[in-house]
Amino acid sequence: MVRSAIKISLPIMFGFVPLGIAFGLLFQNLGYPWYFASLMGIIVYAGAAQFMAIGFLSAGLGVVEIAMSTFFLNSRHMFYGLSFLESFGNWNFRKLYLIFGMTDETYALLTTIQVPEGFLKERYFLYITLFSQIYWVLGCTIGAVLADLMTFNTDGMEFAATALFVVLLIEQWIMVRKLLPFIVGLISSIIALLLFINHMLLIAIMISIALIVFLRLIKGSSS
Amino acid sequence: MNGLEYLIVVIIVMALSTYFTRLIPFLLFSPGRESSLINYVAKSTPPMIMMILVIYMLRDMNYYSFELVYTSIALAVTIGFQVYKRNALLSIVTGTAVYMFFVQI
Repeated sequence: MVRSAIKISLPIMFGFVPLGIAFGLLFQNLGYPWYFASLMGIIVYAGAAQFMAIGFLSAGLGVVEIAMSTFFLNSRHMFYGLSFLESFGNWNFRKLYLIFGMTDETYALLTTIQVPEGFLKERYFLYITLFSQIYWVLGCTIGAVLADLMTFNTDGMEFAATALFVVLLIEQWIMVRKLLPFIVGLISSIIALLLFINHMLLIAIMISIALIVFLRLIKGSSS
Repeated sequence: MNGLEYLIVVIIVMALSTYFTRLIPFLLFSPGRESSLINYVAKSTPPMIMMILVIYMLRDMNYYSFELVYTSIALAVTIGFQVYKRNALLSIVTGTAVYMFFVQI
């Protein structure tokens, strides 16, 4: 099960390690000891929010503002949990950790994969989530420690995240085979892009959920 | 540079704030008791969000430049490998390698 979880989470490694390294490199500019980059990867574990934090820390922003901004930046995760209400199992430390480890990438992977026959779903999810975080912490640490020794040109490596989402989109299509959610996602993205480019991600998700609820209610009342 | 105390407080606040956003749906809805509407929404969100995430990643692209060309090539390679080989890692590595090649030349 461990080997299978490592194998299936490798695409996340390709996204997380370079991104983590980029974070570590930038974080080192603040002048704090390197292990704080690792610590952030361990206890915050949120890509976009950690990058945002570098700006906040260097500006010396207030704690309340930071808490609010982090909350709004990550509020899309509120919708992610809906897909795991059942599959994360009963309340225990494993579930608390699975919730903690729910990033864009793990959400995308866990909602797309088929759990192999004979594997306990919650435990398989746990390994995937744990390995994903290890990749992230590893990236953050490598970036921070080797801040000035880096010679490898990572330009363009950010495409790995795009490619991961494209691959999972194709897999979703193969699994779902219903056009409606994809069209709703597309329309919502376009509306959000045209109107609110700065908060596109959260707003697109909110519009898409409002739309799908609306369509469901119309369908329900007509049948 | 600001003090270590400030950094530690910021890290703790960010950790709590992030965890809270991820915890909310689990506190609001208990499994097995959710309505058919919530079930429907939960089933529709992965394909919707995957679509949105892909568009989100491509939002900053400059549409009137060479970037559009090589991004399209990298996307086509990724999609092509995924459709014909169904091997996620292969598709991602090849697509990313193509993209990096164009960015770095």
